Amino acid sequence: MTEDLLKVEGLKAYYQMNYFGVEREVRAVDDITMTIRKNEIYGIAGESSSGKTSFIKVLAAAIRPPMRIVAGSVKYDFKNGPIDVATATPAQIEAVRWRHLSYIMQGSMSVLNPVRRIGRTFEDFARRPLGLSGEAYRARVLNHLERLKLPADVLNAYPHELSGGMRQRVTIGLATVCHPEFVIADEPTTALDVVVQKEVLGLIREIQQDMGSSVVFVTHDMTVHANMADRVGIIYAGRLVEEGPTRQMFFAPKHPYTAHLVASLPRIGDTAQRPALEGRPPSLASPPSGCRFHPRCPLAIDKCKTDVPPLIQVANDHRSACWRWQDVEPLVVPQRHEVMA
Amino acid sequence: MHGYLWFIAKRALQMLAVIFCAISATFLVTHLSPIDPVEQVLGRLSSRANLSPEAIASTRAALSDLFGTGAPLHEQYVNFWLRLVRGDFGPSLMAFPTPAMDIVARAMPWTLGLLVSATLITFVIGNLLGALAGYNQNNRFFKLFGIIAMGIQPIPYYVVAFILLIIFGFLWPVLPISGGFAMDVTPGYNWPFISSVLQHAILPTLSVVIVGFGGWFIGMRALVSNVVNDDYVTYAELAGVDKSTIVGGYVIRNAMVPQLTALALALGGVFSGTVITEQVFNYPGLGSLLIDAVNYGDYSLVLAVSTVSITAVAVAIFTVDLLHPLLDPRVKAE
Repeated sequence: MTEDLLKVEGLKAYYQMNYFGVEREVRAVDDITMTIRKNEIYGIAGESSSGKTSFIKVLAAAIRPPMRIVAGSVKYDFKNGPIDVATATPAQIEAVRWRHLSYIMQGSMSVLNPVRRIGRTFEDFARRPLGLSGEAYRARVLNHLERLKLPADVLNAYPHELSGGMRQRVTIGLATVCHPEFVIADEPTTALDVVVQKEVLGLIREIQQDMGSSVVFVTHDMTVHANMADRVGIIYAGRLVEEGPTRQMFFAPKHPYTAHLVASLPRIGDTAQRPALEGRPPSLASPPSGCRFHPRCPLAIDKCKTDVPPLIQVANDHRSACWRWQDVEPLVVPQRHEVMA
Repeated sequence: MHGYLWFIAKRALQMLAVIFCAISATFLVTHLSPIDPVEQVLGRLSSRANLSPEAIASTRAALSDLFGTGAPLHEQYVNFWLRLVRGDFGPSLMAFPTPAMDIVARAMPWTLGLLVSATLITFVIGNLLGALAGYNQNNRFFKLFGIIAMGIQPIPYYVVAFILLIIFGFLWPVLPISGGFAMDVTPGYNWPFISSVLQHAILPTLSVVIVGFGGWFIGMRALVSNVVNDDYVTYAELAGVDKSTIVGGYVIRNAMVPQLTALALALGGVFSGTVITEQVFNYPGLGSLLIDAVNYGDYSLVLAVSTVSITAVAVAIFTVDLLHPLLDPRVKAE
């Protein structure tokens, strides 16, 4: 078994808001425990507003009020020493940022300063963490751009002069130019068309293998997970409900929610619309009792309404939080070519 | 670069057209106004001497001949433009025969010195504090500042000016409240004159700064508080980019684009904003001159003052247009 790079334990991060004197608490991340290994791609899936972005914001040490870590730890084991970003001081976090821990933010269209040339942005982001200057710095950046199949003159361009795919590659370049050990990518391919999406995903994979770093990425697009991830974790209503190797997750899901997500994959030859899962994701301000999925779950029994199922080992390297995991059957068996991982 | 040159040429032509139309309109308004400069001069003359009706009639004829007001309007208009292209506005009618342009040239440095510097001071202070307030939204000092700015901003300008007059002219008379410099100094490059000019400029400048500051402050704070939440600022913060780089190169740089446009317009507008300030503080600038000229029906002077003002506004807008593609790379020069 490979070494762990990140250990998350009992993590709870809530949005605490005060609207005109009324306290409101949104439990975006509610008791998540997981590990991420060295040199792996871990995909996090879930519906919109399931708390997945909040979760990786905590991983990226990017939380701001009104979100707050209420409990738990987020321990990284970087080359320059271990750090728990849940309790670290801003200066300690500063020391690992970009060199060890970097982040590809959602929305490549808006993460680049519109009035700054790409080259300047690279300097802002990478010069200090790289600790290089002059020719050495330039060579490093140009070399990295070449790896991303970007021409050297993008450095003289403004963001609006680039296409969406190029901009996304630039942001990937920004996040990886320092060869970080851990890269967090939030929806790196949304808003890109399928062809560009494939190219960008291939690039992330390539760079990850080159650098031997770990990548955590979030998307609700299950096809991307099928193609990219070594392991997939499913988040539902702020909790990790199932995680396991990608192949097992797709062929033998052990949580009814995962089974539905996999069944939602479109397929060549579909003639009718795929049946949608009834209901909506629960409000994180007042989540249902017991298993949070029980109001929508076809397998729900009385126990599900009152008792929270723990995340237990159901197979080798495969964990699920369901009282009836043994009864979960895959709704649709994915065709072999759909799952390449 | 060809595109940019073409863009400049197009904008310059537009500017000239605007200037031409505006000056023509001013010409029409002044010449159609019921105040007749000949009658004004006659009134002044006859109030001091007991003239016979014949003398009045012949003076009137002589004056309208001299002023050129007897000719039909279109002829006056053509003559006006013929003189104007040579830079001549004709003689002032109320200070006949001093050329109107000389009078304007004498008043202009006062207006420019006072209001341009006041506008720039207001702009710099307002935007800097506004940017800091927008960036540090939870800072108590800036919150207090915002409330004060919000409170002062809607007070009419002349009320602030008069309050300043009362405070510094009567309750605590430490500053001169009227005129451009003290009577007992000789104009020129000597220290007593310069210090006197500076002292006289304090109150008018202060009044402009106090009133104008709030607008820039509130505007910039709103712009910055939007920009601060933009993804590229968040992302730069996450990447651990230098704080000063973020504030300067990311936040202010982006929020500044609309503010600079507004600055150019404000500088152009200095000439019209000057009227009340100069009247209240009895300042020897273009504003006071304009009011006198209107009251005396002095076409030439009104036209000279308005032409300066119109040209200044048009040139300011032109400059903004030229600068805009350089300030914001997303604006294409077309």
